[in-house]
Amino acid sequence: MKLSKRWLPAHVLVWSYAVLLIVPLYYFLASAFKTNDEIFAHPFALPTSFGFGNFRTAFDSADLGLAVVNSALVTVLALVVTLALALPAAFALARSTGRLASLVEQVFSLGFLIPTFAALFPTFLLAAATGLFHTRTFMVLFLPATAMPLSVVILVQFMRTIPREMEEAARMDGASTYAVLRHVYVPMCVPGIATVLLLNFLTFWNEYLYSLVIIGPDPAQRTVQVALPTLRSITGTDYGVLTAGTILTLVPVWIVYTVLQRRMQQALVSGAVKM
Amino acid sequence: MTTSTPVPGDLTVPCPGPPAAPAGRRTPRQGGTVLAVPALVWYLVFMVGPLIAVFVVAALHWPGMLQPVSFAGFGNVRTVLDDPVFRDAVRNTAVQLAVALPVMIGCAYMLGYYVAQKPPGHRVVRYLLFIPGLISTPAKAMVFYAALSPDGLANGALESAGLGSLADAWLASPSTALACLIALDIWAGIGFTAVLFAARLGSVPDELGEAAQLDGAGHWRTMWRVHFPVIRDYVGVVTMLQFLWTLFGSAQHVLLLTQGGPGSSSTTLSFLVYQKAFIAADLGYSQTVGVLLFLAGLAGLLTIRRVFRQTY
Repeated sequence: MKLSKRWLPAHVLVWSYAVLLIVPLYYFLASAFKTNDEIFAHPFALPTSFGFGNFRTAFDSADLGLAVVNSALVTVLALVVTLALALPAAFALARSTGRLASLVEQVFSLGFLIPTFAALFPTFLLAAATGLFHTRTFMVLFLPATAMPLSVVILVQFMRTIPREMEEAARMDGASTYAVLRHVYVPMCVPGIATVLLLNFLTFWNEYLYSLVIIGPDPAQRTVQVALPTLRSITGTDYGVLTAGTILTLVPVWIVYTVLQRRMQQALVSGAVKM
Repeated sequence: MTTSTPVPGDLTVPCPGPPAAPAGRRTPRQGGTVLAVPALVWYLVFMVGPLIAVFVVAALHWPGMLQPVSFAGFGNVRTVLDDPVFRDAVRNTAVQLAVALPVMIGCAYMLGYYVAQKPPGHRVVRYLLFIPGLISTPAKAMVFYAALSPDGLANGALESAGLGSLADAWLASPSTALACLIALDIWAGIGFTAVLFAARLGSVPDELGEAAQLDGAGHWRTMWRVHFPVIRDYVGVVTMLQFLWTLFGSAQHVLLLTQGGPGSSSTTLSFLVYQKAFIAADLGYSQTVGVLLFLAGLAGLLTIRRVFRQTY
């Protein structure tokens, strides 16, 4: 369909929204290289010099370097646990035809209706009861549980497309159940695994409220999302430092998004609506 | 089930000795169902268990972590319903949903339709629309903080335009704090929702739109009268998602930007749950609100599903 001249208002509206999305990013990027005075005087001017002073201050005053390491640690380990749990589960559910298996699958897909936030306080109690309060370990164990419904459902969909003959052939050669999973199913659903990894990388890296409550504000343990808001101060925020810190937290996500743009977009679209 | 081997005429008797029967003949395909157990246990312990605990704690009188606990029954419900702060929170959440959801879904649908028509530059627009879906809640909150704090962008712009008298402490003023939170919801919500709609509209056959155009329908009519009914149930599912995110997710925005204030002018229900649990240490109260929030979520989901039920 051709878009006629009458679409001018639509073009204008869409691009103004696009500007609303891009301007904050530009402002943050530019301000990260400026002082407060420069930011207030010329908020949208290009920075005059590209020193990394603000980034260094952000690193020092909020221990951002350590926070990035903590976030990376929690994210990577939680991703490993997620796959370790979801791959066998999806494998079992995809191959099974029993009523029990379909019941389990339904239990998982109901999980989409449980908002993670609802059980914040009992989860905090659970952390306290297990002696894992104020540790990153609890988050590494807890985050995969929140990711389980989506991960299992996506992986089951991929594994259902694998023909049964593949397994039968492997069985003829004497493969064990584990070997079938390891050498037949996993290699054949790499796109599904990639989708699961990308989606969960985003949610784990960006997780805020649970990290705040359970890991707490201790600089040695806290993640980057918890450290970031501490760069504000009531007595007068240094916007250069705040924006530099924000940019730092976005870098890993932005790198992944740019390198894997297509795949990431597909993952986000397919992962959002699974009800 | 694979283990039972029903005999005709003997259907009511459960088959007690399962695996002994045809072990050798059957291909060992079923050998793996037990592999789903760890994931299921994990999920039940960390997700379902705490969710049930919400209902238990809601029935307790528990005035602080180290305080003695006693059974309160429905006492908490009465306390909560009589509390003016709770009523403020209900009102704020209702306003937030009533404004944010229709604006977000309406704009996102039109934007998604626009992108799906592949106008010039649609790839750039699509790339940009993903931005709010990628950045974390604290980062989004920092964007709004930088824009709306007393020495932030908005006031700077007003002053340089000679309208300094209109400048305000947007996040700290009772009349604008809630509006700022709603603006954040809408700003962040439209982009990603539009991407979802664009993806779904992309799979609607082109002929449908072309036929409507031949019949003399403009894009406006095609958009609402032809495409909308086709993806109506999908719009419903996306609305349900955004409803849940707005209802439960607002706690983080409030915590990061306004702390529910001034007074209780920007306290939402989900922030009240957080605030009563971790700041005011009134745990029974907090979880009672949690239960009410959960019920509100359920009622909302059912309503949205009814409204968007496929009509053909």
